[in-house]
Amino acid sequence: MKKRTASLLKPYILILPALALAVVFAYRPFLLTLLNSLHTVSLQGQRLSFVGFENYQRLFVSQSFQASLSNTLRFTLYFVPTNLIICLGAALLSNRKGKLATLNQIFFFLPMAVGLSSAMMILKMMFNPSIGIINQLFGSDIQWFNDKHAAMALLVIAGVYLDIGLNFLLLHAALRNVPSELHEVAKIEGANSLQVFRYLQAPLIAPTFVFVLMTNIKDAMLISSPVLILTEGGPFRSTQTLVYQMYLEGFKSGNYAMGSAIATVVFLLTLSALLLLLHLERRRVYYQ
Amino acid sequence: MKKLTALIATLCSLVIVFPIFYSISASFFSYADFTSIPARLLPSVPTLENYARAFKESNLERFLANSLLTASLGTALRMAISIISAYTFSFFTFKGRDTLFVLIVATMLLPSDALLLANYTTIRALRLTDSYLGIISTLLLAPTHIFMLRQYFKTVSSEYREAAILEGCGDIRFLTTLLIPISKAVVITLAIHSFSTIFNDYLWPLLVTNKESMRTVQVGLTMLGFSENLDYGPQFAAITLLITPILIAFVAMHKPIQTSVSTRFAGR
Repeated sequence: MKKRTASLLKPYILILPALALAVVFAYRPFLLTLLNSLHTVSLQGQRLSFVGFENYQRLFVSQSFQASLSNTLRFTLYFVPTNLIICLGAALLSNRKGKLATLNQIFFFLPMAVGLSSAMMILKMMFNPSIGIINQLFGSDIQWFNDKHAAMALLVIAGVYLDIGLNFLLLHAALRNVPSELHEVAKIEGANSLQVFRYLQAPLIAPTFVFVLMTNIKDAMLISSPVLILTEGGPFRSTQTLVYQMYLEGFKSGNYAMGSAIATVVFLLTLSALLLLLHLERRRVYYQ
Repeated sequence: MKKLTALIATLCSLVIVFPIFYSISASFFSYADFTSIPARLLPSVPTLENYARAFKESNLERFLANSLLTASLGTALRMAISIISAYTFSFFTFKGRDTLFVLIVATMLLPSDALLLANYTTIRALRLTDSYLGIISTLLLAPTHIFMLRQYFKTVSSEYREAAILEGCGDIRFLTTLLIPISKAVVITLAIHSFSTIFNDYLWPLLVTNKESMRTVQVGLTMLGFSENLDYGPQFAAITLLITPILIAFVAMHKPIQTSVSTRFAGR
């Protein structure tokens, strides 16, 4: 009898670590974040009194939050298409055979080997307006960190640099999986490269493309570390994003309630974007 | 047409790899090289001075050791938890199995960045700030790993396990001598992925470490503090030291990397 109970309990014991981690570091903090956003919270993180949606009301009228929200959405809007075009372009261009093509492929995914903070530090130094190599090479005088448009452009460049490695690998792999017989048939039929892409490659890589698109949107809406290292939200909050503001409110000002309210907004935003895309994917993209 | 494609591809790939090249080159610059006009691409006289200073004027070895330790420990625990959970979900039948599986995998939908604040309070309450466990604890659950391993394990017939158990082989032996060896490719891919994710994490280790001696290299790098006086040399040296081994590994492993990506994602 004892042995039987033991063997009945066994699977539960085996998944206990994963389950405990899910509860302690995902569900519980998620609920705490929701609760905290509806309360006033002390500097020590104790919930004081229930205030309903007051935190959200204060948040939505604050200029700082409006700036963060609009910056995050604008960044997503600039970054996602730019990144997708560059990564898809790189994958299409290097989808050849030969030594040079292999070298191109390695170069395209190599940024993956550079960690986030190293990559951001390199860019920060390269884009230094006075002695950085970028302005000197191009003989330009762009104030990358003091001009709001330039700072946003720099953030997009940084985002592309961080993502190109993996996105290139995924799209390139998808292109390589397009059967070569189909290519030959298309060639014999006299299809040009554009037609091959439109009618052959594009439909076959669509699932990978949607996957890349989804992760890109999620990453863009959650962008924070590049902001922290490169621009610190400046100039004049022009690159302050939601997660960065959450970090400022929660860790720099000790305002847990506000930080939690921002976290909830971020959560709702990414979730709705992902659900919308999943819906589109189900309707439009067909797996083989 | 083909030549044109090759030319454009090469030019673009050179642009992409330029920051890496520049970082390596600039790590040998002298102070004057950084400010020379026109800008230099290669050092006037290569110097190792920056490397010496990177070590002498910062805690670089300690940062690096912290990162290697947390990434290895984190990967080992993460893989152990993922493999055992995936094994249980694919080979055992028990009440509530599917619900519990969904409960664990659905944590993918809760972005960790939005949970930073609340997780920080948990870690602080557990007195784990400035500890290795504090740095890795929030990263130990990898729902994507559990999901992918389960997909893979499910292709292995449960008759294998039944036969093994009949022969008197325990779960641990079945895992280590049969299941893990036949799933080697996916296990290695996930382990490498885990290692690089934990090694490269920035915001969380920044938050949970206050003591300089507990910083990971990703956090430490941004705090070396040379750039205030535009003295970039030591920083480029530190970055070059950090990325070179990984670059070499990537170049050497480019074939397996490309193959594993194409079977993992595009192949479905």
